[in-house]
Amino acid sequence: MTKRTFRRALAGFWWLTLLFLYLPLAVVALFSFNAANSAASFTGFSLRWYERLLGNEEILSALANSLVLAIVSSLIALGVGCLIGYGMYRHRHRKLGWLIVLIYLPIVLPDIVFGISEMAFFVKLHELTGLLQPGLGTMIIAHVTFQIPFVALIVYSRFVGLDPTLFEAAKDLYASPAKRARHFMLPTIKPALISAFFLSFTLSVDDFVISFFTAGPESATLPIYIWGAIKKGVSPEINAIATLMLGAVAVAAILSLVFSRRRPA
Amino acid sequence: MSDAITTDTADKTAPTSVPQDTARRDASSIALQGLHKRFGRDTVALAGVDLDIRPGEFFTLLGPSGCGKTTLLRILAGLEEADKGQLAIGGRDITEVPPHQRSVNTVFQSYALFPHLSVRDNLAFGLKMRGLPVGERNARVAKIAAFIQLGDLIDRRVDQLSGGQRQRIALARALVCEPDVLLLDEPLSALDAGLRSQLQVELLRVQKRLGMTFVFVTHDQQEAMVMSDRIAVLNGGLIQQVGPPREVYEHPVNAFVARFMGHDNLFPVIARNGETLTTPLGELHVANPGDGALLLIRPETLDLLPGDVEGVNHLPARVIERLYRGSHAEYRLAIAGTTLQATLNNRGRHLPEVDERVTVAVAADDLVTLAE
Repeated sequence: MTKRTFRRALAGFWWLTLLFLYLPLAVVALFSFNAANSAASFTGFSLRWYERLLGNEEILSALANSLVLAIVSSLIALGVGCLIGYGMYRHRHRKLGWLIVLIYLPIVLPDIVFGISEMAFFVKLHELTGLLQPGLGTMIIAHVTFQIPFVALIVYSRFVGLDPTLFEAAKDLYASPAKRARHFMLPTIKPALISAFFLSFTLSVDDFVISFFTAGPESATLPIYIWGAIKKGVSPEINAIATLMLGAVAVAAILSLVFSRRRPA
Repeated sequence: MSDAITTDTADKTAPTSVPQDTARRDASSIALQGLHKRFGRDTVALAGVDLDIRPGEFFTLLGPSGCGKTTLLRILAGLEEADKGQLAIGGRDITEVPPHQRSVNTVFQSYALFPHLSVRDNLAFGLKMRGLPVGERNARVAKIAAFIQLGDLIDRRVDQLSGGQRQRIALARALVCEPDVLLLDEPLSALDAGLRSQLQVELLRVQKRLGMTFVFVTHDQQEAMVMSDRIAVLNGGLIQQVGPPREVYEHPVNAFVARFMGHDNLFPVIARNGETLTTPLGELHVANPGDGALLLIRPETLDLLPGDVEGVNHLPARVIERLYRGSHAEYRLAIAGTTLQATLNNRGRHLPEVDERVTVAVAADDLVTLAE
């Protein structure tokens, strides 16, 4: 094989991989615009399935649940994760091995294990105290728990990337601890915080397994609704929801990426 | 200092040297007593440092890396706490005062400009943290920008600046706060040689015009000599010698200081008889021999006479190496089984060649002895 054909083969492999990743999504998106009822053939462009979504109360409430869950859980995770990230930075010189592992662990823990244990915990707690009936509240708590590690790690790595002398310069320039937080640390890590928010948002909107186990009867999110609806077969309506979610998540993910790369202006 | 900046930039008729009021003079003296600092169990950074720095002085802490000079500066700034000892500025004990409450500002080696702020906001940061109203803040930033001649840099972003520009902004950011004492942690070490000597002069002029106490840290003895009113040479967490540059260079108290100031011609005194000392080079007449165990011969005090010339403090030698440097030539000479460095000014006279036989001549006044 010549060098040239080898290069071409590599390029071909790249395109093949992209096709493998995105073809199924493209098919879903395409058929969401299908005029016909069946998934067998594409008969023409139409927005009728999107119009039907707007008239479907169940879908609209699932959408609202998804958004409330994503935004509220992301904001809480941002606050807590930011403090943890800063703590990890401040004490980075100490030997914190196993503590750091405890923060990382939820990232690699299987969702189903996570979901089941959260469910068991909330059910028990509810039995004992009457608090935390399964619903949006429990879902928010569950989502916050898996979002925190991501926020903490993003904030931590932003701090690690800073010249440590900056903290001393702020002290030297008459900034009290509270003023250092407000006028130096928060503005400096702002892009990291925005990035972390959109990542958390994406994770929350994407999540099905953990939501499924911690949801209550009234708190179905879009993925849970889709799961229920799909038992009756994949309708073009589902394609339309999936396409909308795809778009929303892609936008949030891109925003997260953009802000993670941005240096503070 | 507020007055100083005004007179020098706005009011051209005022004298360039600004008389200091006595309150300011007193406020900017530094007294260190018995400072000890240890990192971990066995790294001793400071092993008992006593030091008095005078108001308005350009004072340099000089030494190799790990000698404790930076630790000392950080203790002055409040960024490090001494294990033992006292620190007073202007007669007020500030050993326990946190850094943000000390009237001391630092120019950091890495400059430490805030990346999220413009140059202007970097300059205003200290004043803002102190709660100065916006109007006064802007006025003082404008004043310092004119004083340091920042020109159009003021509206740039920090990441658009070159090393030399950052250095000047870092200096301006500290000066605008008008501290009692300015601390400088190797502020020029990241710059290339040309820019570095240019900024040395600039820094020195700023200090002289403001009459502010500067404490400067460097490992470069040339820089220390150019800049300082007085130098403290540190080694192993202890002050070896404190004095004006000439004293430290010409009369080092021990071998460490001598070597650190760049001296290589150190010879043991084998025997002494009054003002005549016996060394491996031969017998030398020394005007004030003292009781030091080492004899220091500064290369620039030597004269090289062609051929054999009899006389007091004349030693026969042979040229091993000559480095011609234009303004002067550096020689390595073989003499009595050892080697000696000499420097000759190039004044159009004969510069001996390699392998030429010469006579080394030195005045008895130029020889000093020092401790091992």
